[in-house]
Amino acid sequence: MNASPVRAEGLAKHFGRLRALDDCTFELPEGSVTGLVGPNGAGKSTLLSLIAGLARPTRGEVSVHGTPVRGRMHPDVSLLTQKRPLYEQFTVREIMRAGAAMNDRWSAARAFEVLDLLAGVDPDAKVRTLSAGARTQVAIAFALGRLPKVLLLDEPLSDLDPLARDETLRIVMTEVAERGTTVLLSSHLLTDLGDVCDHLLLLDEGRVQVVGDIDEILGDHRVVVGPAEVELETDGVVVDSSHTPRQTTALVRGGSAPSGWDSTHPDLEALVMGYLRASRNRKLARQ
Amino acid sequence: MTWIVWRQQRPVFITLAIGLVVAVAAVLVLRAAMVADLTARNLVDCAVKGLESCRGPASNDFLNAWFDKMHLAQGAVIAAPALMGVFVGAPLFAREFEQGTHALAFTQSVSRTRWMATKFVVAAVPALLFVIVFQVVVHSWLDAAGELGPLATGPFYFTTFEAQGVSPVAYTLFAYTFGMFAGALFKRTLVAMSLTLGLFIAVRFVLTGTREFLITPTRIVSDDPSKPALTDSGPLVVDSGFLDAKGAVVADSAPLMNCASRGDEPVVTDFAACYRKNGLAQSYADIIPAEQATTLHLLEASIFAGLAVLFVLGSVWAVRRQV
Repeated sequence: MNASPVRAEGLAKHFGRLRALDDCTFELPEGSVTGLVGPNGAGKSTLLSLIAGLARPTRGEVSVHGTPVRGRMHPDVSLLTQKRPLYEQFTVREIMRAGAAMNDRWSAARAFEVLDLLAGVDPDAKVRTLSAGARTQVAIAFALGRLPKVLLLDEPLSDLDPLARDETLRIVMTEVAERGTTVLLSSHLLTDLGDVCDHLLLLDEGRVQVVGDIDEILGDHRVVVGPAEVELETDGVVVDSSHTPRQTTALVRGGSAPSGWDSTHPDLEALVMGYLRASRNRKLARQ
Repeated sequence: MTWIVWRQQRPVFITLAIGLVVAVAAVLVLRAAMVADLTARNLVDCAVKGLESCRGPASNDFLNAWFDKMHLAQGAVIAAPALMGVFVGAPLFAREFEQGTHALAFTQSVSRTRWMATKFVVAAVPALLFVIVFQVVVHSWLDAAGELGPLATGPFYFTTFEAQGVSPVAYTLFAYTFGMFAGALFKRTLVAMSLTLGLFIAVRFVLTGTREFLITPTRIVSDDPSKPALTDSGPLVVDSGFLDAKGAVVADSAPLMNCASRGDEPVVTDFAACYRKNGLAQSYADIIPAEQATTLHLLEASIFAGLAVLFVLGSVWAVRRQV
């Protein structure tokens, strides 16, 4: 069966009146590394926990390799949650033993291989004595010991120093290169994402704003700069525009380059920033 | 999975084991000292036959020295279930939710139900063992004191009843499952601990006052209305009073019992005749005989076990809805 590693159809999760996620439809290609971005509270963690089966959707369905996820972890999926939960009083070796005990499919060799990468983590150290970087490495080793085909990472880089951040991304990229794992990772660190991701999934207020191949997305958007007094006329959609006394800058999706305006394609950071700014402006306008 | 829970609970188990060793050693030392004291005071026979056979300074000194200590030991058996609920049951799920480690288990192949069931069983077994062993050791001490100890007042004396039979285990199951449920529901260890202690005391207090209504009492009657129907201290007296000539219960007997001499009337010597003349034909007592103590233990235990089942179901519900 040639089913997509992750496919969501009309996926929604409501907490009472709060629509954490609404009508999300997308598909992740096999072996892609997708950056999941959006402002705080956009529904990133909710989406990841729905794919992992930690929570049940209010509406819609998410399936992994064609199998619908229903309140239970799909055997092919590994999720690293934001808090990187580990049993504090266990040693690293005991954590890995716990991984073997809790999983039908478990590769201790793979887990210890990941622990040995980079500076290496002492397997006899207690988890609570580990640095944030080493802790993340243990959590990733634990996630990869399941031999996942889909790896979900929720803010894997937060509270890591630049070196640990770089090393964490190297572990993930090694995994992708060696095993062709499909990765969905949420992060606020756009520059880091740009280095590793080939796809983008941009959420805002629980809805998918942009999804697809990063190069195609960037090619489909333009940053146009023109004089402040001229009205921007375009056949595309203006995502966001900002004005200074002398000039107007706008992020435009689709359409052709407006004549008389200075037009370039944005980089990933500029694109995401444009959408985030637009999101904040919409919220401010509603208040 | 069993290994994981065992490893997680290891500090608790070590504490329980140390606590049990210390408690058992203390009780055994006290028991040995008491038995030596019994022999030294020449009271060994008295402990078998009862206090009546050996009134005197020796038995009084013995009671002064040991009676409170033995009651204290019963109190410890009664308190042990609450400790298990507060320190083993309450943190079981609350600590996982507090530290987020439930997500570690929920994102593996193991099902939530199996995770829950394993935690429940693996943590409960040492707690129950602790209570049972402690109860047995304390009971062996009280048994050695025989008629000179708290057991002489019969199986229904409240500290004796609650420290005997299946009761401590039933109380432990109740406290443990409620602690677990409160922890799963509120996700805060401290909240769950306080609620467990509070509810345990409240429910135990209420059921202590009402458990005598669980059994239909037996009525025993004395034909001499001036003598109480029951002379033995073993059975539990639920109600007592007087019957009239037709055998009906006299609602307000106080005015009819006025047989004290008034003015220049002759002193009443035959109270029975006076009572009969006033309409009190017989005295009665509604009792639960000592032989039914086990039945009462089982009845009360089944209430606590029923509550425990509810709390287990509540925990399952609370854990399943957890994200």
